[in-house]
Amino acid sequence: MEPRPPRNLPDPRAVGWWTVHCALLGVPAAGGAAVAYVTLTDRPLWLGLLVAAFAVLCLALVVVVPRAYYRMSRWEVTEDAVYTRSGWIVRTWRIAPMSRIQTVDTARGPVQRLFGLSDVTVTTASAAGPVKIEALDHHLAAELAERLTLITQATPGDAT
Amino acid sequence: MTTPRRADGTGDVTLPAGAEEVAGTVPDGWRRLERRSHAVAAAYSLAVATPVAVAIVRGMTGAGVAVELIVAACAGAALLILAGAVVYDVLRWRATEYRVTGERVELRSGVVQRRHRSVPRERVRTADVTADPVRRVLGLAVLKIGTGEHAGEGASELSLDPISRREAERLRALLLHAPDRAPGAARPDAARSPGTAYSADGASSPAGPGTVPIASLAWGWIRLAPLTVWSFVGGGALLGVAYKALDVVGVDLFQDVLDPDRFEGVWRGLAAWPPWLLITLGVLANLLVGVAGALLMFVESWWRYRLDREPGGTLLLRRGLLTKRSVTLAESRLRGVQIAEPLLLRLGGGARVTAVATGLREAGAGESESADALTPPVPLAEAHRIAREISPPGVPGPGALPGEGGLRGHPVAARRRRARWAWPVAGAAGAVVLGVHASGAFGLDRLLSAGTARWAAAGVAVAVLLAGWGLAAVAYRSLGHGLTSRHLLARSGAVVRRTTALDRTGIIGWKIEQSVFQRRAGLMTVRATTAAGRGVYSVLDAAPADALALADRAVPGLLGPLLPEQATDEPGGYGAGTSRISCEPHGHQTRPGRNAPPASSRWSST
Repeated sequence: MEPRPPRNLPDPRAVGWWTVHCALLGVPAAGGAAVAYVTLTDRPLWLGLLVAAFAVLCLALVVVVPRAYYRMSRWEVTEDAVYTRSGWIVRTWRIAPMSRIQTVDTARGPVQRLFGLSDVTVTTASAAGPVKIEALDHHLAAELAERLTLITQATPGDAT
Repeated sequence: MTTPRRADGTGDVTLPAGAEEVAGTVPDGWRRLERRSHAVAAAYSLAVATPVAVAIVRGMTGAGVAVELIVAACAGAALLILAGAVVYDVLRWRATEYRVTGERVELRSGVVQRRHRSVPRERVRTADVTADPVRRVLGLAVLKIGTGEHAGEGASELSLDPISRREAERLRALLLHAPDRAPGAARPDAARSPGTAYSADGASSPAGPGTVPIASLAWGWIRLAPLTVWSFVGGGALLGVAYKALDVVGVDLFQDVLDPDRFEGVWRGLAAWPPWLLITLGVLANLLVGVAGALLMFVESWWRYRLDREPGGTLLLRRGLLTKRSVTLAESRLRGVQIAEPLLLRLGGGARVTAVATGLREAGAGESESADALTPPVPLAEAHRIAREISPPGVPGPGALPGEGGLRGHPVAARRRRARWAWPVAGAAGAVVLGVHASGAFGLDRLLSAGTARWAAAGVAVAVLLAGWGLAAVAYRSLGHGLTSRHLLARSGAVVRRTTALDRTGIIGWKIEQSVFQRRAGLMTVRATTAAGRGVYSVLDAAPADALALADRAVPGLLGPLLPEQATDEPGGYGAGTSRISCEPHGHQTRPGRNAPPASSRWSST
């Protein structure tokens, strides 16, 4: 038994963005291993196969992870709460009631900007971390943030 | 009223004309810290000057410098340090101003970088008055005002260091005693009866009228004081600290003080003793020092410990022998209570009570107790009584049944999950033994043959495995959750078992987690987020249906609409997963706002 998935998916462009994100990590790792193999060892075959396998794994992850992550990431804003699901290995559902929201922020990284995406981050008074809606279309994110701000300003108190 | 947006940060504050006067504050009156602060700075500068002087003496005598020169150098260095400390303190004093208006507490500070902090008075949660020996002699105290802010930029508290004890007491009462609830309580000066033993040198006032005592020190509790890890490592730790401290001034404890040549006879005599006796004596001496240290710390920290409920709607904790401390907590901001049982203390039948509250810091450097500690180590029954007094109905006792506010156990899969960790750890331990043997470190290769080393590694691995399983069993038995009319209950922890009663009204969101492994084992972790205490309190590895129903019932209407319309769990399967403690007989309530099947049909099996 688990909570039902939130209704909305991230923007499809998110897959592209996350792919770039993963590639920034995966490609240097694979490339580094290959370069180290060529320059630092006397190139035994078994190690070559190992390095090749590692490189293939890295590149496969670059392709697979963003898609898997996209399938898991969902969000929803109801009358009463902000609700997200994320994570692949550790599936995480987060819910923050509207009445407890303190701040609403939108943020766009440099790569995100190329894809026209934004994150919306909703914080409560808890130190446990914010609820983050990742990779929305830029205009949608701005609209959503505005709407959330209006709603939360209308509800007094934040239970601190 | 605050808006949900952070409208209370640093900023220009114009005082409304005719801001109401509260308990003798002049509106718009900026006040400064006490000037005696300079004396405190001077006194503490000696703590730096002394080791410097020792280092100078050592360095110069070694180089054969005349005595007059050495004295002059020491005096010069000491004067320089003293002057530096005092000058800095004067600058700090001049830069620091504070005021309490009808609505806000404001603090201007910062020698180099000026800072103006302004916090609405309704955000003040705690007041912590501390007076160490130096400040006590001078009649001073440090007041720290805890706010509901989470450390966004820097500290979440305003610190006034130092002000007079009278002023500290005045501010404490002014800021935390709601005037509408107890008009008299906002004027502590009127209620103060001079000459009471505590107020004579204390950092807090005597108990005023209407104060209800919750707990006070019973000397029998001191038997629980040595039940900490420090009792076992205390002697060694002390030696380490002494070595480090002497090292700073250029003295090597083992080479210079316990000089092998000077004490040659002693060393030789000791070397003649059998090793087992030496080891036993060493362990005993360590234990003795550790226990003595633990007892001294208990006396210093908890001397004249009192926990009272004040008529102004606050809890007041007072304690301390040399350093006096009083902590005031606004009860309306208390979000629950926690009973912590560290392993050793638990074996001795003891526990401690901490507050789940906003505005309390973790223990800082040089502090023996964390700020949220409400009691010293006390007998378990007493801990439960205090928890109940502070936040009724408190934390359920060991015998309570799930249906009567007790805790419900978790599926056995949670134990298997914990026990599984023992395997890699045991394997690693065995590998370490083999590795150490192979590398020849510690002379192990000379002590053991290769065959024996293999057996030793296997033995270590098995021992670690068994210990791991034992710990897993303890951790599993700790797991539990429950719900009372007021609290969400959660318990976990093997080494430190913590039972938290978190106010359901203080829950400001949920974080539900399920890893791939948890999914396969049919477990789920539910974390309640809150503004108070650690910010998040978790129900670890519960049965998913159980965990979700708990969250739904704890805060009705929040999670309910997000749970599947048709519950997929089989009652039988659920019951089988929850071992040891039977399910609640009365079942869970129907969630509001959705068409759940009748509660009894889903929950009453087992």
